[in-house]
This record gives sequence, structure tokens and C-alpha cells, in this order.
Amino acid sequence: MRMNDRVFGVLLLILAVTYGYEATQFPVPFGGQETVGPETFPILLSILLGIGAIYMIIKPDENAKWPALSMLLELAVVCLVLMAFAFALEYAGFILAATPAVAFLCWRMGATPLKSLLTGVITSVVIYVLFTRVLELALPSGIF
Amino acid sequence: MGTIELLMQGFAVALSPESLMFALIGAILGTLIGALPGLGPANGVAILIPLAFSLGLTPTSSLILLTSVYAGAMYGGRISSILLNIPGDEPAMMTCLDGHPMALKGKAAEALATSAIASFIGSFFATVGLVILAPILAGFALKFGPAEYFALFALAFATLGGITGKNQFKTLIAAALGLMIATVGIDLSSGVQRYTYDHLHLFEGIDFLIAIVGLFAISELFFFLEQHAGDGLKQVALNKLKLSMKDILFIMPASLRGAFLGFVSGVLPGAGASLGSFVSYTLEKRVSDKGEFGKGDPRGVAAPEAGNNGAASGALVPMLTLGVPGSGTTAVLLAMLISLNINPGPMLFQQSPDLVWGVIAALFVGNLVLLLLNVPMIGVFVKLLSIPPKYLMPIVTLIASVGIYSITGSTLDLYFMVGFGIMGYVLRKIEIPLVPVILGMLLGPEMEKNLRHALVLSDGDWSILIGSGLSIGLWAVAAAGLILPMVFGKVLRAKMKRSKDGLTD
Repeated sequence: MRMNDRVFGVLLLILAVTYGYEATQFPVPFGGQETVGPETFPILLSILLGIGAIYMIIKPDENAKWPALSMLLELAVVCLVLMAFAFALEYAGFILAATPAVAFLCWRMGATPLKSLLTGVITSVVIYVLFTRVLELALPSGIF
Repeated sequence: MGTIELLMQGFAVALSPESLMFALIGAILGTLIGALPGLGPANGVAILIPLAFSLGLTPTSSLILLTSVYAGAMYGGRISSILLNIPGDEPAMMTCLDGHPMALKGKAAEALATSAIASFIGSFFATVGLVILAPILAGFALKFGPAEYFALFALAFATLGGITGKNQFKTLIAAALGLMIATVGIDLSSGVQRYTYDHLHLFEGIDFLIAIVGLFAISELFFFLEQHAGDGLKQVALNKLKLSMKDILFIMPASLRGAFLGFVSGVLPGAGASLGSFVSYTLEKRVSDKGEFGKGDPRGVAAPEAGNNGAASGALVPMLTLGVPGSGTTAVLLAMLISLNINPGPMLFQQSPDLVWGVIAALFVGNLVLLLLNVPMIGVFVKLLSIPPKYLMPIVTLIASVGIYSITGSTLDLYFMVGFGIMGYVLRKIEIPLVPVILGMLLGPEMEKNLRHALVLSDGDWSILIGSGLSIGLWAVAAAGLILPMVFGKVLRAKMKRSKDGLTD
């Protein structure tokens, strides 16, 4: 089966058409229409992407191996953890946000829970001190 | 002023204590980055750019720091090739062929020292080549008008996949995606908002540093997680170094040939470091093989290493003079220059000669520092290499996030970074190369500007794009860059694969 490339080819084609269509809807720039406006280059790009996408649909490559569903879910959780880190950064401060994020990543990559936690605490504190004290870069301190 | 005087002024900059310190830090960091499996030079430089940027270093200092990182990463790549039989990046693949067998024979230290010396020779001679060739090319490039520049950018994309590229259409898709991301934001010449959907944060466009770190570093983290590669790999133990003058002289001819071939393929569009090390190795094998190649011949280590490093410096010629990078890592270096508000291209040599020549001098200094570091201190690097990825990757991710956060101090950028990470993961899964995406984001604004200038000059007549002999020539090379890999790509890739498989058989 070569479904991978076909599916993504279709998605890219949709992207190309939407992108090109939106370019035609740009408001006319102040000072009137010129020979080359803000839409010329995007339309050119949408054609290029369209050609590439159609080629992918017609002549797809062999499928790469996708991970099992459980792994995809795990990757999704990792994404959420990274986003939670970003979200917590300004409220809880750098150390409190980074410690669980790093610990979780270490744990998911195969470290023992205790070692993961240690890595999390040590790296966040070291990086925080290094950046705020030595390199004088502001990181949100939160409650500390 | 002659080239020599300018270079001497460059050395005056590069040899100041502050610059030397940055070169030393860069060299150490670079070697580490190159050596760590899965990080790779492009990644490493990308993570360091926002940091150098937010530390408020002067352009010259940050350039010296990051060029040393770049040079160091090329040195570091060979450590994992030799000890783990895993190339840090693609050009380091050929070093595995003889480097790992040497290590297995208990000559790991010799293999590492040999490759360090060969790397130095490769970089040194290629930098000399850069000094000679760059001003000539820069002078020539002054003849370029907007139409020629547009053709040149097209050429850069067409040849980026390189002669060994797999599917040209996927390179095309990647380039289009990158250019499309670059169009987000307020259009500079008309003031029209494009694809901003009234989000204030998108008005300035999307910062390519976020894209680089997301596409490379975060997607790499996903791959590590998926492959359960957290424990790292067994490496060959290091022995005590025994290297005599005779051994060094023995690899000299191989290194010199490798340096030359590497430099040439680095300068040529589309050839790149992979081909540089491949050609150097095959030629060396043909010239001096007596049945020892592939079983741990030091010349088989020296030739591709010299070629690989020669190509890395050679690739700086088109990058500095034309603003067109030839490889992933040079693309990231271009990102660095742009974020420091320096526009590479022929004018760079006239407007800020102190900066250009400072960087070139820094390359010389950095390489010497690297040679001095690498031979006696190799044990330290090897120790650090044995930190398993399960601790390293999360730490790297954290440092990358800190770098991204410090650009604007907005957490929104971190969400974008994760988004680009997912995009990078999917694109890699469907085998769409990431480097053209980055290059598209970097070159997009310039490319569009030149297209507009050209069309305004001709009053909307598109034939101006092929209006001069020079631009027709550039388009012809671009077309060749797209079509030739379809014809020869398969054969060449099969050859590279065969020489690698031949080892494991």
C-alpha cells in the first residue's frame, strides 16, 4: 500500500488551493492595483505546491512505518506536556514548570522515576541559576 | 586594500582575547553537539542562535562563537562514527567505513587522532580556498540584477536536494511550504496583511528560529521516544594513543586530496558535504587501496574526513558571497546572519569587510583550537558522549525552549515551537526534507522582493526573468539540478549504500 503519500498529497493539494484562493481575496493595496501586488508571489507558490501534491498523489513512494496507536497517543501526551510547560511558565515560574516537564520526558525515554525526578530538579535549578545569575537573562521566577 | 591586508585585519579581530575565548567555547560546544548522536550540527547551531542573540553579544562575537560551533560540529561528527559506527550526520557516513573497523582493532585513539588531523587539513586548505575564491565570486555577483537573483534563489532550491536527492517533487513541496510560511505577516511593500487572520502576533511573521528549533530539535525528540532509543548504544573503548610522525606523513597525501575534492564539492551548488566525503573516499580507495580499505586503513579515515570538512568550509563560499547556502548547516548559519541583521551577498564584502574577514580568520583560529583540543582532550569528549539520550534529550529540549522563550519573552512562541515539532515529525515520516522548508522561510522575503523589482522594472512583463544570458544560464543550471538527480541519483545512492553494506557483510 502506498496510501501515506496519497493521503498527504490530497491534504497538501487542499492547502495549496485554499492558500491560493485566499491570496486572490487580499484587499487592493492603498494606492491602487499594481502589476505585481501582494498576491502574485503567493499564487505562484500555490501552483508550485499544487504540482508537487498532484505528483505525490499520482506517483506515491513506499509507506514509511507509522508507530502503533499507543505510541501515537504517547507522543500526543508528550506534546501536551510541552504545552503545559509553556502554559505554566509564566504562572508557576521556570523551576516549577520545567521540573515536571523534564522529569516526565526522562521517564518516558526509559529512565527510572527517581532518576527522572532528580534530573528534572537538578537541570531546572542549574539552568535557572545559570541563566538568571550568570548570563543575566530574565526567566519567570514565579514564587521563588 | 588587498586580500592579505584584509585578512590580517581579520586576524587582529579574531586573535583578541575576547574572540579567542568565544572561539574556545564554541569549539568545545560544537564538538559536543557534533558528537552527540541525534543532535547534529544544524540542530546544535539552531539551538545556540537564540541564546547568542539574547545574550546581547556583538555581531562579531556571536559570529565567531557560532562559526566555531559549526567547525566543531564537523569535528565532533566523526567521534560517534568511529566509536559507535553511527554517523552524527550524513557526511560523516563514509568515516564509519574505515574508522569503526580501526576502533574494533583496538586503534580507536589512533583513528580519532588521524581524523582530527585530517579534519584540520581539510578545513585549513578549504578556508584558504575560501579566501581566494570568495572575493572573486563576490565581485562577479555584483553584476546580478533582480531577475538574476530570482533565478539564483530558484537554483538554490533546485539543487538543494543534491545529486543524491531522492524525490525532487518532495523537495519542491518542502520549498513551497517554507516560502508559504514566509509570506505570513504584513507585506513589506504594500502594507497588506497576509494570512494573519487578525492575530497581532502574526503581523511580524513567524520567526524562523522557532521553526528551525521545532522542526529539527523537537521532532528529533519524538523520534527518540518512538524508537525507544533512550539508552544509547554500546561504544568501543578508547585505548592509549600511539601516533608517530610517520603515521601523520602516511595520511598526508590522502588528506590533501580529500581537502581539495571536498572544497570543490562544497562550492558547487547541490553537491554538498555528503558528496565531498564520498568522492574523496572512492578516489582514495582507487588510488591507494591494497585490499586494506574497509578493514581499518587510516587513509580511509583521513580522506573522507578531510573531504567532509573541506566541503563544510567550501559551502561558505556561496553562502557568504551570494547569500545562498548549499546545505542544512549553512542554511542555519544564514539564519544566524539574518537574525543579526547582516545580509549576506556581494555587498557584504564591501560594506562590512571587517566582519567577513573576522569570520574567515575565526575559521582558521577555530580550526587550530579544535586540533589542539581534540587530540589531547578526546577522552573528555568520549566520556560526555556516553551520557545516555534519555537524560540528554530532555535537557536539550529544555535549553532549546529557554532559547526560544528568550527571543521575545512570549510563551506563544513555545506553542509554535511544539507545533513545528509536530509538523517536522509528520514531514519526516512522509519523507519530505526539512532543509528546503527552512531555506524557504529564510529566502522567501528576498526572493519575493527580487521578483517584484524585476517585474516592476519590466512593467509586468514576465519574460524579463529570462532576459539576460546570465539568468538563462542560472535557470539552465537549476533545471539540470532538478533533472540530473532523477537520472543519476539512483545509481549514486546505490553506490554509496553498497560501499556501506560492504562493511557489514
